[in-house]
Amino acid sequence: MVKDEETRKASLLADDLVSLENYIHDLFNFSPLPICFVSPIGVMLEVNPSFEALSNLKSYELIGEPIEKLFEKSKIQEMTKETLEKGFVKGREISFSSGKEKKIPVQVFTRVRKDEKGDVVGYFLGFFDLSKIKEGEEELKKSQIALMNMLEDTEEAWKSAEQEKNRTQEIITSFRDGLLLFDKDGKLSLMNPQAEKFFGIEKEKLIGKPVSEFFHLSELRPLASLLGRRIEPLFRKELKVTEDFILEVSTILLIIKGKSSGYLIVLHDVSREKIIERMKTEFVSIAAHQLRTPISAIKWTLKMLLDGDLGKITPEQREFIKKTFWSNERMIRLINDLLNVTRIEEGRYLYKPVPYDVTKLIQTVIDSYKGEIKKRKINFKFKKPKEKMPEVMMDVDKMSLAFQNILDNAVKYTPENKNVTVSLTYDKKEIVVSVVDSGIGIAKNQQERVFTKFFRGANVMKKETEGSGLGLFISKNIIEAHEGKIWFESKEGKGTAFYFSLPIKAKNKIA
Amino acid sequence: MPKKILLIEDEDIMINLLEKKLTQEGYDVTVTKNGEEGLKSMREIKPDIILLDLVMPKMGGFEVMEEMNKDPELKKIPIIIISNSGQPVELGKAKELGAKDWLIKTEFDPQEVLDKVAKQIGK
Repeated sequence: MVKDEETRKASLLADDLVSLENYIHDLFNFSPLPICFVSPIGVMLEVNPSFEALSNLKSYELIGEPIEKLFEKSKIQEMTKETLEKGFVKGREISFSSGKEKKIPVQVFTRVRKDEKGDVVGYFLGFFDLSKIKEGEEELKKSQIALMNMLEDTEEAWKSAEQEKNRTQEIITSFRDGLLLFDKDGKLSLMNPQAEKFFGIEKEKLIGKPVSEFFHLSELRPLASLLGRRIEPLFRKELKVTEDFILEVSTILLIIKGKSSGYLIVLHDVSREKIIERMKTEFVSIAAHQLRTPISAIKWTLKMLLDGDLGKITPEQREFIKKTFWSNERMIRLINDLLNVTRIEEGRYLYKPVPYDVTKLIQTVIDSYKGEIKKRKINFKFKKPKEKMPEVMMDVDKMSLAFQNILDNAVKYTPENKNVTVSLTYDKKEIVVSVVDSGIGIAKNQQERVFTKFFRGANVMKKETEGSGLGLFISKNIIEAHEGKIWFESKEGKGTAFYFSLPIKAKNKIA
Repeated sequence: MPKKILLIEDEDIMINLLEKKLTQEGYDVTVTKNGEEGLKSMREIKPDIILLDLVMPKMGGFEVMEEMNKDPELKKIPIIIISNSGQPVELGKAKELGAKDWLIKTEFDPQEVLDKVAKQIGK
């Protein structure tokens, strides 16, 4: 009975064992993870289908072979040893290759297997294929590197932009000229230390403010008046901050990508130049004044000799004295020109405007040239409107001089039997005087210097040694002081036409 | 009785020339070489006209005129300015102080001085 019972139990146990074995076998075969069983000396004893698939080898090609064939030798030996000692290894990374395929990274897990006596009979080895993950990691790394590179580039670009900015900042800060920058809304966005120093004011008080607010600050009122409420382009306009501190102000319209983006104001200190210029002017002025005394003494002496006041002289003596007298007159004219120039430069050339008839002024000057015109055999014409012209506010002496200088050139540099025509025209706004000659003309490359001090045309110098080169400079200053304009057209060898205009102001109009 | 002219001028050659020209014309000419002497002299001789230079040592022409304006007797004497300078400011000031006429030495000759003098006091 007992034996039957035991046999039945044993049979049941055997059934259980078989079903457990089947269960394990199925599980082993089903597992998507490659698993193998390895003997303590490192020989593969069993592999599952996943193992076969991954190694691309059949179980008969694997079983009995050392595990070292499939893994990095040194690492797998170490792992075997560690597994036998510790009982397991968890998630060790190692490379796997069947020899047919290229190496792939895998993560290995092991666990020892013992028999019922506790003796080690081998170990299980399972692993994950990390290649996909690794590939992903590689990708990630590449992206990371690319990103890092990009970051580096950006950083580099930022650094060089920063460097550029610092350099620009440094230039602006250490610039000897004062700089003010107004943005497109007309507000001050930058002021360098030199500009602060020029006006003795800190930029913090001004940044963000428009020029219109500068009028309220005594330090900046002169600049504000010069710039005006709406800034417009200026070129080297003089600004007298104090008697000895003079700035030249230029405004530059900033255009970025075709759009106006504000104004840069450049303040250049010209005090030193102005002082030197003033000293030079003073020197000329003093020298000219000092020269006048002996020159008038000479003039009067010669005149008295010629008038016979100092006794009888021979005709030959008279001739010589006459020539000396006229040389002296030339010197007087030259000195007067120099003095006029110094007065213009010192701003002392006073104008006392009175309403006056331009026709009368022109006629008077022409009359004084009648002898000269006749002597030089010039065909002279004066064209004027029949009706009485409106009077113009002018300083009569100065304006006569301005016109005389222009007429003098026309008469002097026109050959015999050629023409000089003076014309007078007017409209509601202005009177225009023109002096057209058929003289030697002004060379094209010298035309822009015509109104500068001491300018004399190269062709003129050959013809006449006399002349100070100051006449037209003086004329221009006189005309412009009357709010008029002067201009000319000229062709060398053909002739020159000078024009000047004088405004007729409402109060001067004849009803 | 010839008319009396007081010439106040510091430059010798101008003095010589003017003295000669005016004397030839029949005037009685007294010369002083600066403003101070000029004032003293005009009180003594009571001239009919004064020819006055502007820039002189010790006392200049403007100061002479200012002093003359303080004295009703002297104030009556006509003055013609003779100067090297033709600056409007100076001429304006001279006129204000009572000068009858003026001439710039480089722009006038001795004959014109005679004309101007004659215009003021006759020959």
